[in-house]
Amino acid sequence: MAFAKPARLKKVKRLLPALVAVAVYAALPALGLRGYWLDVLTRANIFLLITLSLDLYSGTTLYLNLGIPFTVGTAAYALAILNGFYGVPVEYGILPAVLVSVALSFAIFLPSLRVRGAYFSILSLLLPIIAAGLVTSQPISLYLGGEGGISFSPLLFSYARTLPLRERVPFLQSSHFYISVAAAALALAIAYKVAYSDFGFMMRSIGQDELLAEASGIDTLRVKLLGFIVSSSLAAFAGALYAAMRPPVTSEVFIPANTLVPPLTAMILGGMGTILGPVAANYLTLIVYEALWDVLGRWRSVLYMALLILLVLLKPQGVIYHSYLKMKRSILFRISGARGG
Amino acid sequence: MEELRYVLVFGLFHSVTYMVFSLGFSLVFGVARLPNLSYGALYVLTGYLVYVLANQLGVPFYAAVSASLLATAAVSLAVGEIAIRPVLRFPVSVFVTTMAIAYILEEFFRMQMGLKPVTLPYYPGTTTLFGIPVSNHWLLVTGVCLLMLLALLAFLFKTNTGKAVRAVAESWEESMRLGINPLRVLRAALLVSGLYAALTSILLTPLKALTPSAGWVPLFAAFAIVVMGGLGNVLGTVVASLAYGFAEQLVVYTLGGGIARVVPLVLIVLVLVLRPHGFFGRGE
Repeated sequence: MAFAKPARLKKVKRLLPALVAVAVYAALPALGLRGYWLDVLTRANIFLLITLSLDLYSGTTLYLNLGIPFTVGTAAYALAILNGFYGVPVEYGILPAVLVSVALSFAIFLPSLRVRGAYFSILSLLLPIIAAGLVTSQPISLYLGGEGGISFSPLLFSYARTLPLRERVPFLQSSHFYISVAAAALALAIAYKVAYSDFGFMMRSIGQDELLAEASGIDTLRVKLLGFIVSSSLAAFAGALYAAMRPPVTSEVFIPANTLVPPLTAMILGGMGTILGPVAANYLTLIVYEALWDVLGRWRSVLYMALLILLVLLKPQGVIYHSYLKMKRSILFRISGARGG
Repeated sequence: MEELRYVLVFGLFHSVTYMVFSLGFSLVFGVARLPNLSYGALYVLTGYLVYVLANQLGVPFYAAVSASLLATAAVSLAVGEIAIRPVLRFPVSVFVTTMAIAYILEEFFRMQMGLKPVTLPYYPGTTTLFGIPVSNHWLLVTGVCLLMLLALLAFLFKTNTGKAVRAVAESWEESMRLGINPLRVLRAALLVSGLYAALTSILLTPLKALTPSAGWVPLFAAFAIVVMGGLGNVLGTVVASLAYGFAEQLVVYTLGGGIARVVPLVLIVLVLVLRPHGFFGRGE
């Protein structure tokens, strides 16, 4: 027992720089950041959940889930339907929407999780594209608003309405930012914990060699199913939050170019399965993407995909996490080398 | 009863086009063991190429068609060199690379051609078939598709390259031991597959509007058919495309075209639950 305290202190000390960084980041609106770039960061925070969802499952098991937009989109639509048809306030609709989306994704993916190989990935890509088609074509579009989508008032709007007119938009922007930071931090803690737990290593063993994993006594199907549920919950949470902050909900959420390619690029750029690499890459790519708008216009998404191909071909192990490790090693080496000399 | 006749006639027409399209898809799928997700984008590419050459640049129609066929086959080869060959050992990557190429092409079409649907000239006139007026173009399509099936069978069973394609699809290692170069075979498969996507596009674009994202629906239809028929099984593919075409038209006439989008999903899920190796495939 006597050792417990110093050990915990040491852990806190080690985490201190990260905690400070998060605190400074979370305080950005208080430090005067407003408007467009605050919105960009809010979106990056929400996309972090999708990146983590992808990295936690596909980055470790190497079952590439291209159906993330389906989970994100069904959560968004579930929230919109709960609000628009049943009058559930957006604030209370988020959790039910996440549950609906996870249950739906799980039910549809279940048969393909049982088989190995290409089926899972291609079936997963099929889902969002079908969903995007379904919600924009009759008869379903008659209920779900077709291309225009479903509109409702955003998260915390009922409170913002009580404020003077001039303060409403800044209040919504900064409160949404705080909520998204909290969600991102929570998701990061969960993803990190899971990825480096025994369970996380079981998922990695499936990615390495599924038959071998099974032979060494891992119930691979159970691990895949559980991992899928944890990962989908993150993606569904991202979808519901995003919808709650940025109504209307349209078929755009199902389009892989919007909700799959950015997290996928972040995952590969950061280093699959490393959690921290994709987190850094998520912010880097999304901020660079926004900054490129003035320079490249619509060509930026073509550039994005080209980058994705180049990365996969030249650096399939990712860039950020590995260069971070290298840098850390060389610094440690220099310090210890200096001591030794 | 009239609906049933429509389902039968148009189910047959759609089946033969799906058959040709999915045969092209399964060639590369069989040889590389990996699906080429940009196959649908090749279909869209040809349609736009013919449209731009013939309608906007005034090239004679048949010259435009031939040029587009060659260009699509070349793009198919390029996709193989860029996105499939380097990542053959990493199955996860091929999804990323070929999907990214499909989206690059789609985004490019969206910027250059806009979202307005495009069509091509069709063979004029109508014929009455089982009491249903049918555009003569459908008859032309069916004829050409059946010819393409025969040509593919001749290629696979009579030519050395075709036999090599079948050998590599059977076993990559074994065919190498027999002195076959699988990479060359992969190129041949990509070339034929590109041609088949292009021909289907030229045949079908006059009947179906072409939009930048029009390639996904046939791609997934092809995937569903290959899953149902068993990979690398020509007879299975033919039967599966008939089943798919009739099932799809049945849903179109009873529940509407919007709901029909779910057909490939339902069929794939059914096959995965009941027969993971396809209804005609052999167990591994």
